[in-house]
Amino acid sequence: MADTHTLSRSGIPQASSAEGLTPSSQTKPNYRAKYVLSGHTMAVSSLRFNPTGSLLASAAADKQIKIWDVYTGEIVKTFSGHREGVNDIAWSSDGEFLASASDDKTIILWNIELNAVAKTLHGHTNLVFCVNFNPRSNLLVSGGYDETVRVWDVARGRSMKVLPAHSDPVTAVGFSHDGTLIVSCAMDGLIRIWDADSGQCLKTLVDDDNPICSHVTFSPNSRYILAATQDSTIRLWNYQNSRCVKTYKGHTNRTYCLFACFSTTTGHHIVSGSEDCKVYIWDLQSRELLQVLEGHRDMVLAVATHPEHAVIASASTEKDPTIRLWVDDASKS
Amino acid sequence: MNATLLNPFTITHPTTIQTSLVSVASFARFDPSGKLLAAGRPDGSGVIWDLDTRATIRWCEGHVKGVTAIDWSRNSRYVLTASKDWNIIIWDLASPCDPPQRHTTIRFDAPVVAASFHPRNRYRSVVSRIVLALLSTGEAYIVDLRSSHRGRFELGGEDDGDEKRTIMTTVRFDPTGRHVFVGTSAGTIEVYNTRTKSLIARHRIVGAGVIKGIVFANGGRRLATNSSDRTIRQFTLPTYPTPPEQNTTYESNKCQIVETELEPTHRFNDPISKVAWHAISYSPDGEWLAGGAADPAAHKIYIWDISNDGQFASALDGGREPLLDVHWHPHAPRLASTTKDGNILIWHCPSPERWGAFAGGFEEADENAWYEEGEREFDLEDEAELALRKKLQEDEDVDIVGGIEDSTSTVPLNDVTPGDVDLEWADEEGELDRKDWRMKIITVEGEEVY
Repeated sequence: MADTHTLSRSGIPQASSAEGLTPSSQTKPNYRAKYVLSGHTMAVSSLRFNPTGSLLASAAADKQIKIWDVYTGEIVKTFSGHREGVNDIAWSSDGEFLASASDDKTIILWNIELNAVAKTLHGHTNLVFCVNFNPRSNLLVSGGYDETVRVWDVARGRSMKVLPAHSDPVTAVGFSHDGTLIVSCAMDGLIRIWDADSGQCLKTLVDDDNPICSHVTFSPNSRYILAATQDSTIRLWNYQNSRCVKTYKGHTNRTYCLFACFSTTTGHHIVSGSEDCKVYIWDLQSRELLQVLEGHRDMVLAVATHPEHAVIASASTEKDPTIRLWVDDASKS
Repeated sequence: MNATLLNPFTITHPTTIQTSLVSVASFARFDPSGKLLAAGRPDGSGVIWDLDTRATIRWCEGHVKGVTAIDWSRNSRYVLTASKDWNIIIWDLASPCDPPQRHTTIRFDAPVVAASFHPRNRYRSVVSRIVLALLSTGEAYIVDLRSSHRGRFELGGEDDGDEKRTIMTTVRFDPTGRHVFVGTSAGTIEVYNTRTKSLIARHRIVGAGVIKGIVFANGGRRLATNSSDRTIRQFTLPTYPTPPEQNTTYESNKCQIVETELEPTHRFNDPISKVAWHAISYSPDGEWLAGGAADPAAHKIYIWDISNDGQFASALDGGREPLLDVHWHPHAPRLASTTKDGNILIWHCPSPERWGAFAGGFEEADENAWYEEGEREFDLEDEAELALRKKLQEDEDVDIVGGIEDSTSTVPLNDVTPGDVDLEWADEEGELDRKDWRMKIITVEGEEVY
């Protein structure tokens, strides 16, 4: 819904259609730092653009959640309410709610419009590490250090299902685009796919070396799963036949749970942070490293890709708790 | 998405109760997506249940007497409720409030006992503005809300006064919406053209008595009736002629009535206890037929296997609360049956837990199998060669955005052949009922009270 006036003022380009571009004819992305957003006082753990792409939400170990205007780089609001650091956040698909998972063992559902806590979800017996809405946003899925995956009724704020999912802390959870599948991954190195309705485990993916799994997410069409593991590798899995179809390497991921994202606005890219203070961008098909974004002065854990434009948000830890917005102006065509 | 990972060898009719919704309802209808359920209550409310959370999400409160019928628009945005208080209300679920906003209220001069949207509009991403209603006086009306066709047309209203008028007991659009099928108290089925509202066929069904219900399968080629002689009959329907434009003479409209007896291809009944049937419902593929038995002391649903020549497949036992209504899910092996105490039972076909799924790269086998080793399976290979092969494998392109199938559109959108006046007429002036509308999540404080 963003009007073109705002776009031209901010200089954020319209997304050009990626269709018809073959990987070989694709030009390299050319992201440049646009804004440095400072406000958090401790490590930033998670970044998410809202569904229209006008706002960026950030969560940090300083117990705060901040909402930023993507086009001006200004801070819009700050939510504080968690008693411990916040690990992950997720927008509902209408952008009206933000869910935040915290070390205080709760998930808070924030009403963006009313600027208030809509629900506090109690149930996890240890810190909550990851959270996501289903496409209809009537359900919320969360995972945590109690090794369970929980499904919540958003409207009532009550627990619907507790899946004894893993044997180590759950590091990422997510729904497929149609809401019928849930994917989870954990420090036990397993990626599991669940039937959202029955809660049954349908599939387990495991790599030979069993590295700790940092992050997992469905591809936009939910045919593949992108998994980041702490052997400094990101893999794209075809979960139907349990085969790894792409491997992305070059970054450093040995200790922390880094996010890995798809970017489909200009060309198809894989974006990830790195423990060497950089952001890495690969080509989806050729697996070539296309661009490395430098600027952060500490490890980059959180990255997020804009839903419509060639914009990447990244954030780093303790020594440099800033968020950077990177814009690819060259892709304007 | 989950279909490809689930066990494909499960039976395709429901077998057990998944959940029971305490709803004080007299019947319930799934929405076309199968994720919501609308329940009609004798106190005049329509309740929308979210089947994901198994909780009520909207209360459509506008009637002062019992709700008799509920129908959904194609993309579930609009819900129609008909009531004994003489009104039909169309609700807009996209309105961000509870109860949702009224889109339209249609008032009659007698209690409404059945009502539905025109299915054609329903399949075309537009909300139906053509509504079919049956009153307790035995008269049926097509209410056209479109500005160029606005009006209320009584079906069979122009019949001559000399013969005693038959009472209409059930009305349904066929799945294409070209025709309205009317069941009467005299054991006949009358077929009207929706556009011209003229009678085009009348079928006598020998021995049926009062027709209580009509359901369609197979795109409207197959019909099943429920009648007062406690027998469910299945028929194959003939093709009906398209009447000419309405500006031709009244006489020519009149003389084309097909008068035939329809011979059922199958009859279903309970040979032992001879129960009557409260409701019948086809599975979405038309391969199963469910009949809700009007047993005063048990909750029984009979299921017949139509693809297997109508063989009796199973009788579902839902306990002791008598059954009022049964409705099949739009695309899954699920049923919703309503008990006399107002509980809605959701039936499903559970897939057995596969513990093998918890282990990576593990396949469950039903019996021992000899493992045949491939020719070079355990050969030591050069690492460089392995890496090269892996690279070649990974060079294959993947598609991460395309192929999002549209699981809800059952009828192709551009299926109007030029000159098909019935469908062209029905498609005029659609109102947007787009797929991308969103139901606002309204948070609820505390536990709800019924």
